[in-house]
Amino acid sequence: MIHPALVRKQRILLFVLLAMTAVIIVIGMGMGYSSLSYDRLLPTLLGEGTFKEEFVLFEVRLPRLIITWLAGMALALSGAILQGVTRNDLAEPGVIGINSGAGVAISLFFLFAPIDAGAFAYLLPVIAFAGAILTALCVYFFSFSKRTGLQPVRVVLIGVGFSMALSGAMIVLISSAEREKVDFISKWLAGNIWGADWPFIWAILPWLVILIPFTLYKANRLNLLSLNEPVAIGVGLAVEKERLILLLTAVALAATAVSVTGGIAFIGLLAPHLAKALVGPRHQLNVPVAIVLGGALLLLADTIGRNLADPDGIPAGIMVALIGAPYFMYLLWKKS
Amino acid sequence: MARLYTEDLSIGYGERLIVKTLSVQIPDKKITTIIGSNGCGKSTLLKAMTRIISHQGGTVILDGESISKENTKVLARKMAILPQTPESASGLTVGELVSYGRFPYQSGLGRLTKKDYEAIDWALEVTGTKEFKYRPVDALSGGQRQRVWIAMALAQETEIIFLDEPTTYLDLAHQLEVLELLQKLNVEQDRKIVMVLHDLNQAARFADYMIALKDGQVVKAGRCEDVMKPDVLKKVFQIDAEIGRDPRTNKPMCITYNLAKGE
Repeated sequence: MIHPALVRKQRILLFVLLAMTAVIIVIGMGMGYSSLSYDRLLPTLLGEGTFKEEFVLFEVRLPRLIITWLAGMALALSGAILQGVTRNDLAEPGVIGINSGAGVAISLFFLFAPIDAGAFAYLLPVIAFAGAILTALCVYFFSFSKRTGLQPVRVVLIGVGFSMALSGAMIVLISSAEREKVDFISKWLAGNIWGADWPFIWAILPWLVILIPFTLYKANRLNLLSLNEPVAIGVGLAVEKERLILLLTAVALAATAVSVTGGIAFIGLLAPHLAKALVGPRHQLNVPVAIVLGGALLLLADTIGRNLADPDGIPAGIMVALIGAPYFMYLLWKKS
Repeated sequence: MARLYTEDLSIGYGERLIVKTLSVQIPDKKITTIIGSNGCGKSTLLKAMTRIISHQGGTVILDGESISKENTKVLARKMAILPQTPESASGLTVGELVSYGRFPYQSGLGRLTKKDYEAIDWALEVTGTKEFKYRPVDALSGGQRQRVWIAMALAQETEIIFLDEPTTYLDLAHQLEVLELLQKLNVEQDRKIVMVLHDLNQAARFADYMIALKDGQVVKAGRCEDVMKPDVLKKVFQIDAEIGRDPRTNKPMCITYNLAKGE
């Protein structure tokens, strides 16, 4: 019962966004600290590049682009699920404590774990993932009531509470730390792409490969959950079961993304919002758009940020906010 | 025995019981209205009968099965609910919302079949909302919106339809329009309608069977003539009512009333 014109619009939009993603990836492959000119891209991709060219492309730039793309998609999907389940347009992975949980875990680990730098880089995403999942579990535990089950409002309130408390804890933690360590942590919190390496890609890819089709399969149920509860029950939706499954999906996705990107949350708010503004509230249509949009946005933000300031660049999280916030305000302004 | 009835049903929020050991039958193929003063438990009863809230004790039986044991999707093919203040997602079109009523018949990805489309079109047709099919629900007026929600419940193709104060927020003409639509569905298609109504005279005018509640217990259940009596209304609403006949429909109606004195 969707207007055929809307379906067509969604298809075109998806195509355009995917094309944009491809363009950003190609541009991103040729931009960076060490030079790899665009006319050398194709030969290098086909295996005819020099050792240096191949190293820059396959070991430095491509992994980073891919991981950024995947993380953007995961964050957007997580946000889309959360906004549907909580019936709150301002919901994003941050509200269930994902970012601050990962942040505290990283800070604790970084400040107190006696470990050498080599193993450290690989452990970081694992620590962040564990922190995020642990926090989400706490939020579930405290918001679950035996009588009423999992109420979205409670999840959001307790999630925000946890977020605040953990952010506070983090300030206490880092205020007594040394200068360089604080620098590192604050950079992580600002959302820096961390796990730009093939093993991390293989670690987060399965989540997406499974959870994207799974969520699309659940799109119908998300539609019903975003109406109010009596209506959803009335048409025979097992509300509590579906809500729990979908919230777990959102947590898994967000935790995966945060583990490699640090504290980027804005994508999870922005992408689903934009998708809904573009193709309406039906999740069959807006979830795919949100996913592709999230990937493209984070890629764009990171590619720009990476090249604005040498050699470290501006963290992607900050770039996302810089690009996204004005557009977001424009949307809100247009609405009212 | 009716297909739908409650047995010693107790419902409460927390410690406080709102409905206490209530047993009532909902007659088949009829329009039943539930009346009572504010907080008497009429909405609560409706919600418990439709599994929107769980009950503390007793059972609700539909076709010989307790509804709390029945699969929720199977139940949704038997009963549809129009809650008191349904909310639509912003921007959702009428056709899309009504199509959600087909959920109990869908499996897997939830693609709409030809049969689904027929049910949706029919529901839009009888409720007179076909012209709004591609318009967003939130752009409609209160009366139009209420008809759209009824269309969604109709698309569910259930024998029983529950409605919780379907005429709230509507003006007089629209109230009657909604109630007449329900009556038509009952007469032409044998649908069983159960609704909570605030307006006593409307309840009597459209009902075949009335249930009067006070403090979570049945004061009187039966034909309108048996319920619309001064002594019943005095107990239920604390009013001293003058009962006459509606000159047009010949149904009992409360012509005027005073607050009951004494006691």
